Amino acid sequence: MNRLSGISLTGTTSAPAQGVVQALRNRDARVLITDRPSVWRADVVDRLNYLCCLPVGWNGYGAGPVNFNTANFALRVLESVCSSDTPAPSIVPGPSGDLQIEWHLETGDIELHIRAPNDVHGWFETVGTEQSGQEAQLTIDFTEVAHWIKKLLESTRAPIKAAA
Amino acid sequence: MPASVRFFDPDIEASIGSGHKESTIEPVQRAPVIRPPDLPEFGKPPLNEVVLGVQFDAPAGYQQIRAGEVWKLYSGDFPQVQELPPLPPSFETFGPQASLFSFGPINGPMHNRFWFTSTTGDEIIQFQNDRLLHNWRKVGDQSNEYPRFDTIVTKFLSEARSLEEFFSSITPQTLRIRQCELSYVNHIKDCSIEKIKVSDWLKVLLFPSFEPDDFALSFRKTIRSSDGGPIGRLTCESSTAVEPSGRHFISLTLTARGVPEQQSIASALEFLARGRDVIVNTFAEVTTDSAHRVWERTA
Repeated sequence: MNRLSGISLTGTTSAPAQGVVQALRNRDARVLITDRPSVWRADVVDRLNYLCCLPVGWNGYGAGPVNFNTANFALRVLESVCSSDTPAPSIVPGPSGDLQIEWHLETGDIELHIRAPNDVHGWFETVGTEQSGQEAQLTIDFTEVAHWIKKLLESTRAPIKAAA
Repeated sequence: MPASVRFFDPDIEASIGSGHKESTIEPVQRAPVIRPPDLPEFGKPPLNEVVLGVQFDAPAGYQQIRAGEVWKLYSGDFPQVQELPPLPPSFETFGPQASLFSFGPINGPMHNRFWFTSTTGDEIIQFQNDRLLHNWRKVGDQSNEYPRFDTIVTKFLSEARSLEEFFSSITPQTLRIRQCELSYVNHIKDCSIEKIKVSDWLKVLLFPSFEPDDFALSFRKTIRSSDGGPIGRLTCESSTAVEPSGRHFISLTLTARGVPEQQSIASALEFLARGRDVIVNTFAEVTTDSAHRVWERTA
């Protein structure tokens, strides 16, 4: 049962304040620790955390780390399309705070270029078909990507290492 | 989105058009939001708090040490400051695995959140380097009246414009808005009895032979564009709650969150107006007719 209490630390709602300026009291409230169990999630979170902390100039040309909001959006995208047993994708940093999510399997490839939140270019190609691949400009609906993943995994579930 | 919901600011356009100042900021806004005629209306809604706001790309050239300059934009009406932990990024995405809850944001450097609070405490501007929100809330003896969405959104529009102009003064840029959010927090109380009867107020909870000690429910529904594609979600959360005095009440929070058609303030306000419509219609749908009479429904 809820109780009317003090300040909402992580939500946008509030509770009455006192005094003119109040200091921050509880930084622990930043940390959210509950995860959904899955084979891909821990690897992805570790990788995204690493990419958000890349030093400026990591590519030798002055690029900064992966944008914090873009990394969080990428995680939301994967939560929308990956089931618990989807293999972890490779995640490659871009030069402008962007990133690319990639699955390279024996039966084909999927690449999602996450340029910014709500701004994603998707590409899907299967091996051994005459089609040259599919492209999609995506914002918040990634149902098509889930179909691509399903298609790849139905053919083979053996991941091939991607270039990182 | 109804074609009638449009925002326009003749002052901004005039200043740009007359060549008095160069601006990268698009001309937008100020006309009041048009309320759909069929939208339910309540004379005494059980609202305890309303929050509306936007999430945007961290502005170029801005650093936290300049947060005091942001406060100066609003300090005339919001003279009190409070520092809070930052809000984590929040995004609505769609796919077959999309779950009710998102867990564990990626760690990284985050700008603190600041509350700029009005003298009476009933309004708050929340600011961090990728968020701007405006809260209205009941305070004191709870007698302050809800000023209505149109009033709050007009204030927010002005605040967003001020912030955009400030960021633009650092480096020419506009707010690149990625997500909008609107929440209505209702506290449903029955002063005539100690323990509120849920089914008297919520249509979606009917217990024929018993009354639960307490409950908690949540549901989501997709907000769609005119072409049928998803543009956001409505999240409804309700539970029993208890005041410090021990009196039970029902908390009913409706939140509309989603993506504006474009990344501009004008487009964000259109989403917020759409969100208001979805929230109010859903509120009317999940609550009982007898409750509507108590809240003086007029439309």
